[in-house]
Amino acid sequence: MGNSPADFSQLASDAILYNPSDLACWVDSLLTEFAEPPPTCSSDFIVDPVNNQTVVNSAWTAAEPHTPQVHQNITYDEQQSLDNQLTVVTAMEEDSGIRLVHMLMTCAECVQSGDLSLATSLIDDMQGLLTHVNTVCGIGKVAGHFIDALSRRIFQGMGGGSVNGGSAFENEILYHHFYEACPYLKFAHFTANQAILEAFDGHDCVHVVDFNLMHGLQWPALIQALALRPGGPPLLRLTGIGPPSPDGRDSLREIGLRLAELARSVNVRFAFRGVAASRLEDVKPWMLQVNPKEAVAVNSIMQLHRLLGCEQTRDSPIDTVLSWIRGLNPKIMTVVEQEANHNQPGFLDRFTEALYYYSTMFDSLEACRIQPEKALAEIYIQREIGNVVSCEGSARVERHEPLAKWRRRLSGAGFRALRLGSNAFKQASMLLTLFSAEGYSVEENEGCLSLGWHSSPLIAASAWQAVPAWDNHMSSS
Amino acid sequence: MVQTHHCEDHETVGENKEKRPKFFINDHVDILIEILKRLDGRSLCVAASVCRLWCTIARNDSLWENLCFRHVSPPPSSVRSVVLALGGYKRLYTGCVRPVRSRLGRMRKASWAGDEVQLSLSLFCVDYYERLGGSNSNGRLVGESSPSSLMFLCKPVNV
Repeated sequence: MGNSPADFSQLASDAILYNPSDLACWVDSLLTEFAEPPPTCSSDFIVDPVNNQTVVNSAWTAAEPHTPQVHQNITYDEQQSLDNQLTVVTAMEEDSGIRLVHMLMTCAECVQSGDLSLATSLIDDMQGLLTHVNTVCGIGKVAGHFIDALSRRIFQGMGGGSVNGGSAFENEILYHHFYEACPYLKFAHFTANQAILEAFDGHDCVHVVDFNLMHGLQWPALIQALALRPGGPPLLRLTGIGPPSPDGRDSLREIGLRLAELARSVNVRFAFRGVAASRLEDVKPWMLQVNPKEAVAVNSIMQLHRLLGCEQTRDSPIDTVLSWIRGLNPKIMTVVEQEANHNQPGFLDRFTEALYYYSTMFDSLEACRIQPEKALAEIYIQREIGNVVSCEGSARVERHEPLAKWRRRLSGAGFRALRLGSNAFKQASMLLTLFSAEGYSVEENEGCLSLGWHSSPLIAASAWQAVPAWDNHMSSS
Repeated sequence: MVQTHHCEDHETVGENKEKRPKFFINDHVDILIEILKRLDGRSLCVAASVCRLWCTIARNDSLWENLCFRHVSPPPSSVRSVVLALGGYKRLYTGCVRPVRSRLGRMRKASWAGDEVQLSLSLFCVDYYERLGGSNSNGRLVGESSPSSLMFLCKPVNV
């Protein structure tokens, strides 16, 4: 957003070009629409910026005070008028974008205080304002998703069932496209694999527990790295946890077979076990069948936050799970989580954080040029937004917490941090350079790595190990 | 540099017409291999379209193996079996090593050459895995839109 040259060129490709000699009429009509109360329209967020060209000559003098005065400089020279057209559009859009953000915040405040009638009218106003903003990119697109989520919260109550109700198959497809479109998941996988590889050094029997197998995209690289490690590959066991497949098809087993075929090609002894569970807290340690002689790695890519409930009771799911993880005595636990504060009790605070976080994420996604990966990745993010904003209670699973909070929580549960090391940092930096956008950055923060867009961290990776003397400490205090 | 020659000359000019024997590179395949080993990727592909002999030699994976590890200390022998299992050196080079090297070209440090190859290998492995999924298509991923994790390497750098 803003007047950078990149935005101009973007607008040049997306803007609908009108006859330059009619520019004065077009500007008139635009300002007229802006001055009058806009008609309510459906929440379809792919809308043309300007729909009609009603010609009203005298309206622009009565426009609102903050309407830009650029139209006084319009000439009929084609190039000049094109530039001015773009200038008018960006100024208007920036203006509309700022108004949208203010209205979103006001609406969220109304929702928090319970003033639903005002909130509803704000939703209508915002949807009207969306027609004046470019919803293909920038603030318009993100705002559209947040408006949808807010209206779902207001009108459908806090269940928001449809947001989280995508089938497992759908979720996997969206996840896969999110993996392709931007580097966050690749960063997570490669960093975690590097840490696991280093932790497994010198062990001949290793066991990886993956809290969310999906298509198993993380594991080929680890299998290949183990195949090539000096001293030869170990016996690798992988236990993949995932949701049960509804139609009797064993999707976990299919992924396991694929990974096994890969492992066989590169001569790594491999065994797979699938654990089907719809919630992570339903998994019991005996299901994992961990052998005491093997080195265990627990891998959680954006799964631990789902265990956080709103109540901070003693036996909340997160504590249960963390304690049985400790019981496995893993050599390493890799934790990758969104670097965001989306689990605050106050709705307005959560909303503000989410607006900032997902705007940044959508910004970074703009650089992606491959379709349909980009579109499906956006739907993936849109579902997260919907869950954060419109769900409550047990339906809200996207309870992101920042790294500092996770550090406190994990330290309190008997884990100590392992530094990720310079190899992981180097690999992450190289990986980022391969992605075509220039805005990504990797930062190291007390042994943890975080990936961000223009120095706003969006995802953080850390590694942990169980503190061996913990039980003694607990029993003596 | 590719040494050009004419195949027709070889057929029409017999050795008994010349007092001195003419040096013809195709008669000395070992030297030809040594020369082709030192080409860059693009030139090697061009060389493959010169004649059948050159094509056969250029298809030999060991030439591409040289390309992959050119600026790197020779890898352990286990690497070869892995790469061959995942699709071969030519595929590794054209799919991963070359785009990775060219993308990292601007900010490359000499010490990173080995890591570049390792990263390329990892990406290559993920790509092989995805191709496995595509060929086993049992309705999981829609065949025609099955994403390839190397697609982000194919797109030009967007500055």
